[in-house]
Amino acid sequence: MVLAVDLHELKKGGFLQQRGKDKYLMRLRTIAGDITSEQLRALADLADRYGQGYVHLTTRQGMEITGVDLHRYLDIKADMTRLGLLPGTCGPRIRTVVACPGSTICLQGLVDTKEMAAELDRAFFGRAVPGKTKMGISGCPNACAKPQENDIGWLGVIEPKHHPDRCNGCGICAEVCPGNALTMVDGLPVFDASRCLFEGNCIFSCPADAWVINRKGYNLYVGGKIGRYPGLGQLLDTFIPPERVVRSGEAVLSAYTRLQKQNQRMGDVVRSIGIDQFRQVYRDELERFTGGRKEVTGA
Amino acid sequence: MTGTSKEETVVPDVVLDITHEVCPMTFVHTKLKLEEMRAGQVLEVLLSGGEPLQNVPRSVKYEGHKVLKLEPVGDNKYKLLIERGSD
Repeated sequence: MVLAVDLHELKKGGFLQQRGKDKYLMRLRTIAGDITSEQLRALADLADRYGQGYVHLTTRQGMEITGVDLHRYLDIKADMTRLGLLPGTCGPRIRTVVACPGSTICLQGLVDTKEMAAELDRAFFGRAVPGKTKMGISGCPNACAKPQENDIGWLGVIEPKHHPDRCNGCGICAEVCPGNALTMVDGLPVFDASRCLFEGNCIFSCPADAWVINRKGYNLYVGGKIGRYPGLGQLLDTFIPPERVVRSGEAVLSAYTRLQKQNQRMGDVVRSIGIDQFRQVYRDELERFTGGRKEVTGA
Repeated sequence: MTGTSKEETVVPDVVLDITHEVCPMTFVHTKLKLEEMRAGQVLEVLLSGGEPLQNVPRSVKYEGHKVLKLEPVGDNKYKLLIERGSD
């Protein structure tokens, strides 16, 4: 029997060859690692009917049904569509967006990572790019979802602002600051922005509400990868408002597509030309995406 | 009503030592102790620097209690005074 689709199409749809004659695995993705109980039951059923009675959890919040016969591709695909299960992907494409639970669940979370993951998924998932491109979002500088290990990573940050008129001089902010960015001088905290992690501990600990949120947004990292030559992503832009995150991703992808040679990964491009030169091209692209208007962000 | 100025001396109603605990038990013990208390009473918590110091005061505020004072007592230990909020 001959399938009506070629092998490249299978890979694009998350159907990957594995060990064993005509055995394939079906990769599924989630949005920010969430799956409903109903989908879990449907997934268990698919694993029994098409696979080996188990589901493998991937490192990128996906799931794989292993041992699927090549000739049953169209059947499992149709079942997945009917059940609302999302396919994963493979090859030189934008992969599953990984995200931590963020501000809707986590006490440390500063931004709504689930909403952002859904938005990024809608905008980018599966898009063909020169080299495989992974995206990750973390809701705060604890970086549990490891955005700096992704080709493009966003990290939720808040910038504190001090109201001296409300301050009672207790010094708690200086003691709880993980970056040692605050020093008490004459009964008032002095802020050193260069040491601030922008995680907001001063704001959340202040008993007098003297520290408030000045700005909230996403810091953007590019060029992170693990693999054979690991390297962390470098800071490209800061305090991007949520409504401009997709745009920042588009600008990074355009800069990458322009600068890459021979299908290099993002990290290889960034490391070969340097983050500053990459940022210049990113700025140009950002301007193009905003119709020639200059973007006002931090970096 | 207890004031919040640095100079004022607050006498705690209950004292708790969490210096031998690690996250999440540092806050769990603090929370359980506060639950046994009445609104307006003051709890003194002895805690270590680092993770407990970064997390306990903010969790206390999040749960609606009032942090009155944080005082280093040496040896990387701190005394945290908390006024129990109302439920």
